[in-house]
Amino acid sequence: MSERRTEDQTPSGVEEILRVRSAEGPVERKSPGPTAWFDVRRRGTGHFAFSLNRITGLGLVFYLYLHLAVLSQLLGGEAAWNGFLETATTPLFLGLDVLLVFGLLAHGLNGLRVALIGSGFVPNRQKALFYTLMTFGAILLIYSAIHVFTAEG
Amino acid sequence: MRRSSPHVLIIGGGGTGGALAHDLALRGMQVTLVERGEFTSGTTGRHHGLLHSGARYAVNDKESAVECIEENTLLRHIAPGSFEENDGLFVAITDEDMAYLPAFLAGCEETGIRTQVLQPDEALRLEPMLNPELKVAVRVPDATMDAMRMPLRFFATAKANGAVLLNYVDVTDLERGGGVVTGARVRDVVTGRESTIGADLVVNATGPWSEQVAHMAGVDVPIRPSPGVMLAVRGRLCNMVVNRLHASGDGDIVVPQRALSVVGTSSWVVEDPDDLGVPQDHVQRMIDEGSMLVPAVREAPFRSAWSAARPLIGSKDDADSGRELSRTFKTIDHAVDDGLEGFVTITGGKGTTLRGMAEVCADVVGRKLGVDEPCRTRETVLLPHTAVFAA
Amino acid sequence: MSAEDRVASTTQETRRVRVHRFKRDDGPAHVDEHEVPVGARTTVLEALRWIQLHEDATLALRHSCFHASCGTCGVRVNGRERLACVTPLADVGGGTVTVEPIANLPVLNDLVVDMTSFVERFPEAHAIVRDSEFLPQADVPVDLGAFERFEDCIECGLCLSACPVSATDDSYVGPAALAFAQRMLEEDPGTVDRDALLDWADQDTAAWRCHAAFECTEACPSNVRPAQRIMALRKDLRRRRRDQGRAIPEVGSEDPT
Repeated sequence: MSERRTEDQTPSGVEEILRVRSAEGPVERKSPGPTAWFDVRRRGTGHFAFSLNRITGLGLVFYLYLHLAVLSQLLGGEAAWNGFLETATTPLFLGLDVLLVFGLLAHGLNGLRVALIGSGFVPNRQKALFYTLMTFGAILLIYSAIHVFTAEG
Repeated sequence: MRRSSPHVLIIGGGGTGGALAHDLALRGMQVTLVERGEFTSGTTGRHHGLLHSGARYAVNDKESAVECIEENTLLRHIAPGSFEENDGLFVAITDEDMAYLPAFLAGCEETGIRTQVLQPDEALRLEPMLNPELKVAVRVPDATMDAMRMPLRFFATAKANGAVLLNYVDVTDLERGGGVVTGARVRDVVTGRESTIGADLVVNATGPWSEQVAHMAGVDVPIRPSPGVMLAVRGRLCNMVVNRLHASGDGDIVVPQRALSVVGTSSWVVEDPDDLGVPQDHVQRMIDEGSMLVPAVREAPFRSAWSAARPLIGSKDDADSGRELSRTFKTIDHAVDDGLEGFVTITGGKGTTLRGMAEVCADVVGRKLGVDEPCRTRETVLLPHTAVFAA
Repeated sequence: MSAEDRVASTTQETRRVRVHRFKRDDGPAHVDEHEVPVGARTTVLEALRWIQLHEDATLALRHSCFHASCGTCGVRVNGRERLACVTPLADVGGGTVTVEPIANLPVLNDLVVDMTSFVERFPEAHAIVRDSEFLPQADVPVDLGAFERFEDCIECGLCLSACPVSATDDSYVGPAALAFAQRMLEEDPGTVDRDALLDWADQDTAAWRCHAAFECTEACPSNVRPAQRIMALRKDLRRRRRDQGRAIPEVGSEDPT
């Protein structure tokens, strides 16, 4: 049966349709790409946690770079370092420190959640886990924020 | 290059078209099928998924009943794994229903449909959600199919055997010359481009659209689109198919579909199979009649309500509601009926009889084209439905 | 709400429906706007078919069963994955409705996507019938064995569309395929090649690629709960590895054996 088929010429109108449909050419692939991370409208808790993790992850990588750049100030000697320390105690900088703590807590605690769920230990409680850990994190964040802004020296 | 086997163009990608493509491909013919939308998007995909035992027709339409029970048995062999093989019940609720019982049992006996009479307590043990007021139930070999996926297996197998299946290709006209249909003028919906497909024979397998397509060839077919409403509610309220034991009427069947229950159906006649509407009084009737069989239907959360048009064979003078028209099928060779060569219409029928319809039509096609191959669809096991997407 | 609640009088109004349009060889995708008359119960699919019937016969749609069983009518409505046939416009909020094809699969034309790639991700031809867990109190006739039912998964692709990992990585097999594998493992210890399925799942592009966003479970219209099943699959994989004395490899490493 299949032998007979290969001898047959595909009817002309059909051939044209098949050719056009299989040709290289614009076939759209509707993919949001990484912008999907930022679209949390009407998405579930899990997606929000995923996006938060991605964004804080990027943020922390950026911070790491900054941190190394800052540490390199040490190469400039005591004067340079002291100059840096002055900026480091301005309210803006302290605010950024709190943001850093937020990033660390969010990423770390959510990471703990992902590890627990993803390894199959606690697969069915992802929303509850998210709220519990984030609440715990929020408490720690407030505590740290108070200390960052009120600590001496 | 010379074409060594005749080319058949099938218009219509419902169950009939798919089964015909499968049969013709097995007989070695070159097959192209065109469907203006997604396969089974016409009537085929919309039905409640009943694999008929034929018992519904055992009294008043014995021809259909016999067709159904034969195909019912065959389909389970060639499409294993595509059915919930849970059997069905015909349930008597009223005294009137009980009066129908003797004729029902006799009709089933005569048409070869196995039955088992169950007393109310036995029936309720089988199906705890049945109306507890039931008077008797008769067990029959109904089954449930996935209304799209089962027919899709015919498409998948036809494609593997060389048939070219083109969805999203719309037929805009038929090409004729000297009393012969020579092909179709089509528009590829994917690109918007128009072209012509030539064929040695064109088959009109468009169900309730049969008349529209036949008119493109300048002939008439006695098909009336006869829609019915269906209602899906959440909750699988029965595992078996539950039918009302009576001649026939609205809302007299409840079919389980995964975690839903589908109640059907009603009947009226329209002119345009594309514009059916969903009459709300019919939906209400589904609720009312369905809950006579399974009371939980009334309060079950709504999922969907929709209409599907049956292709009923009958002249314009026949019954108005559509329900009295026969549910059998018909192959119309327009050379015989209308003096037009190269054009055949296959129409009528039910979802259950798709293979049988295709066999009869393929015999006619084979005869007309001088192809002397026997039908092999009774014994050919079909590929899984996912193979239709094989590159 | 019950079916009874639905049977009420209709109101006549119109909704603005924006539809993603794309034809091969006809330039880039664009959006068409239509004012569609709607009733209290009009679904997205009914609105699209009205457009097809009355305003633009070239609009291509996928649909078949009209009751969330075939899975062909998946679209994104205002950015969320829905089955058009069971999504009432009334549920979509009061303003403009935007309809786009589902994401992460090639668009053939308009709202029609190519499901070939979706189907190819599954590990094997699936059995779609299993034992029915509904109405367990029923007494099944001996000759029937057990009541059967079709699997929940209707292969609609909404999960793949909603998955943020799939948005950036085409090689990920996706939630549906993984959920299917887990269902097979759960269902049929006798007739299923467990090792083959677990081997298939134990890859960087399979069970380990998921990042627990749980959008697949949110989007699934058929109660498959793919995310939970992926986690259960990982549990099975972890156990198997422990039993076989192997460590869990790092993502991106070579063949762990």
